[in-house]
Amino acid sequence: MVEMTQDMIIPDDAPIAMDGCDTMVKLWAKRCHELGDQTAHREKELGVWQAYSWTDYYQGGKWAGLALLSMGLEKGQPVQILSEDRREWLYVDLGVAAVGGIPSGVYTTDSAEQLAYLINDSGAPFLFVENDEQLDKFLEVRDRMPGLHKVIVFDRDGLASFSDPQVMFWDELIELGQAEEQANPKKFEAALEAVTPQDARMLIYTSGTTGPPKGAMITHRNMMYQGFAGEQTLEFFPTDELLCFLPLCHVLERLISVDFPILAGCKVNFAESPETVFDNLREVSPHSFTGVPRIWEKIYSRISIMRSEAGWVGRKAFDWAVAAGMKKALAKEDGRRLGPVDSLNLALADLLVLRNLRNLVGLSRTRRCTTGAAPISPDLLRWFEAIGVHLLEGYGMTETAGVATVNTLACNFVGTVGEVLPGTQMRIAPDGEIQLKGPGIFAGYWKKPEKSAETFTEDGWLKTGDVGMIDNHGALKITGRLKDIIITAGGKNITPAEIESKLKFSPYISDAVVIGDRRKYLTCLIMIDQENVERFAQDRQIPYADFASLTRAKEVVDLIGDVVKEVNKSFAQVEQIKDFRLIDILLTAEDEELTPTMKLKRNFVNTRHAALIESMY
Amino acid sequence: MSVLDIRNVETFYGAIMALRGVSLTVEQGEIVTILGANGAGKTTLMKTISGLMDPEKGSIDFNGVRIEGMEPDKIVAMGLAHVPEGREVFPYLSIEENLRMGAYTRRGADIRDDIDMVYSYFPILKERRAQSAGFLSGGQQQMLAIGRGLMARPKLMLLDEPSLGLSPLLTQEIFAIIKRLNAEQGVTMLLVEQNANVALHTAHKGYVLEMGRIVMAGSCEDLRASDDIQEFYLGRQEETQRGQKRWKRRKTWR
Repeated sequence: MVEMTQDMIIPDDAPIAMDGCDTMVKLWAKRCHELGDQTAHREKELGVWQAYSWTDYYQGGKWAGLALLSMGLEKGQPVQILSEDRREWLYVDLGVAAVGGIPSGVYTTDSAEQLAYLINDSGAPFLFVENDEQLDKFLEVRDRMPGLHKVIVFDRDGLASFSDPQVMFWDELIELGQAEEQANPKKFEAALEAVTPQDARMLIYTSGTTGPPKGAMITHRNMMYQGFAGEQTLEFFPTDELLCFLPLCHVLERLISVDFPILAGCKVNFAESPETVFDNLREVSPHSFTGVPRIWEKIYSRISIMRSEAGWVGRKAFDWAVAAGMKKALAKEDGRRLGPVDSLNLALADLLVLRNLRNLVGLSRTRRCTTGAAPISPDLLRWFEAIGVHLLEGYGMTETAGVATVNTLACNFVGTVGEVLPGTQMRIAPDGEIQLKGPGIFAGYWKKPEKSAETFTEDGWLKTGDVGMIDNHGALKITGRLKDIIITAGGKNITPAEIESKLKFSPYISDAVVIGDRRKYLTCLIMIDQENVERFAQDRQIPYADFASLTRAKEVVDLIGDVVKEVNKSFAQVEQIKDFRLIDILLTAEDEELTPTMKLKRNFVNTRHAALIESMY
Repeated sequence: MSVLDIRNVETFYGAIMALRGVSLTVEQGEIVTILGANGAGKTTLMKTISGLMDPEKGSIDFNGVRIEGMEPDKIVAMGLAHVPEGREVFPYLSIEENLRMGAYTRRGADIRDDIDMVYSYFPILKERRAQSAGFLSGGQQQMLAIGRGLMARPKLMLLDEPSLGLSPLLTQEIFAIIKRLNAEQGVTMLLVEQNANVALHTAHKGYVLEMGRIVMAGSCEDLRASDDIQEFYLGRQEETQRGQKRWKRRKTWR
């Protein structure tokens, strides 16, 4: 067994404190008092950015927490939040955690049935919903949630005449909290002090590709450790502007937009909606930006399209500038320095082209960008480096409380997910599985001791389920998921992730699933990128009516066929895709085949499109 | 063979792209409907077909002949009649003169027979044939506009919102006649309509146009069964526990 240990090991019982605080909520209270009237959050109201202070943050959390206590919330009880990202989400998050409750998020794309499952599984007595749309989900399944005591609605719009004994509104909750504060002025602070590092800071439900979702308990100590490690690997400054747009139910966004900003005192700007992320990105121009691969792929394809629509001169200038940047990116990877001519060339390219390009997408102020949650193509990382955006790949999962390994600006190995966080131990099991141990590892699944036990080895290491290897630099390279490994009928082991991420680098492919377990050869189901393929069809006068007819157009099939052929070149014979099909319905985040981060779920795809798959064999 | 074959048409108003690549086909003898909200590009599409506007890109085949960019009078002479939105009858001409205007591109004695044919479908026009068209009610003007279109002996008729400004009863009546004309006279029709309910019960197949793009295509039965069509075009309200609903489902067009 290969075992690699960082220099420092943090014993299981050692306290982790940042700024003299050993829980997130103490740190939060401290930060709010220090920064007071300074801006903590910005949110758009009727199209205008409005600022909210750290005092607002603290009071919002306090009143929400007190109100819940007065309505009977007990220590260790979960509270569910079903809302898009907005400041009240954070107020509830911290308020609940401060009084010893366990905040947990529900994806806004989840159905009423999924909501009922999460409420019942967590046993949450309180549910926060964003608006009338989400409230309707509760109303639809209210009979099936006997344990749910009260629902609180953030937004009154469209509900003026609505009243229900089980439902209250945000302003009513705040009033209740204020009354409680009058009656018991020290109650909130006392509850906050009573929270211990071993208490759960939050419950994160895993996306559940392999069965019903499980709630992972992330403790305060887990998050304090993330803060401690993050301070050494990723830099955050109090002057930083951040953009919050990924679902806060996900551990990554919670870490990046809630807990890190509390630690560092950054300002968090909330995107208006998932559709306006790119506009908001331009408006905010954040100092650091964390996205999932899909976001980076989208930015790349947007710029590619801009290039193709530019005139001849513009295209030439763009190609020249990217080539100049690419030289630098490749030199940096090899640890070389750029020669004087190339350096001058790049300086000119940066001045004339690349700087404008970064301005255009809103990445001109970013010191560092990070990507995680799904594999990303190394070519894409290089391309971003070439245009002057330092995009670093990291790795982690809900069970590691966010980040487990990460590349840093000082030490970036493209194609790997970087070194393990200081204080965490990593080893590779004989079957190739990555196993981790350290203060970032979660406390177990909520009310599922047998599932929790399955997640750990006998000697207490977390079984990540990912397969990888550690290179000479100590950086981890992920090759795929253990359960995704395809064993073809010929007995060859293949990790589909590598092939899939190469396919996804094409602007025309938004996601792909390689199939071939116990089959004679590999095939692939491909989800095309609607925007780019439509443009392709339009430019070449390929008639199509709706999405389905677009996927059937011969030219489009040929286009994807060429991409597949090109990708095949970089793989051995047995790893090549022999046939493929395009998914002919436009999937949205509401569809079960997609995760909220728009990744295809292998299991669902295999069953839902079984006929399509069979047609290839 | 298809009567009309539109491929990847893009039409602009100055810098504004009104049609962003529309492709559709109309087969012989069909009624095809195009649904869409205001500003979706329906009328622009009609004007582009009949030659009133020229597309920047794409092709339009009418019975195997490319007609995009051709002068409208040539297109009418080839057998494509456009019944415009808002009727646009000649108010100071009599009804009969209006009908004769419809046959402007034709010569010959059979024009008389066609006027009688129009009168047989719209008896009210015969009754008032000597009156100025401006004195007709909205519904009668719509009948006259359709009659005038028929006078070109069209192989394909473009109907742009025939129900505009008509009472529900009159709308039913007009559409019944449209159906009869299609069945009895064999006129192929491309029908733009806001009243999705009546259009989907009249036509054989339909397209949904949104923001200058076709987002959905299919037989009228399929379209009627689609949840999106039901909610956004047929005005069905999903029952909620609250009894009222302000938010809209996300369109998926399937």
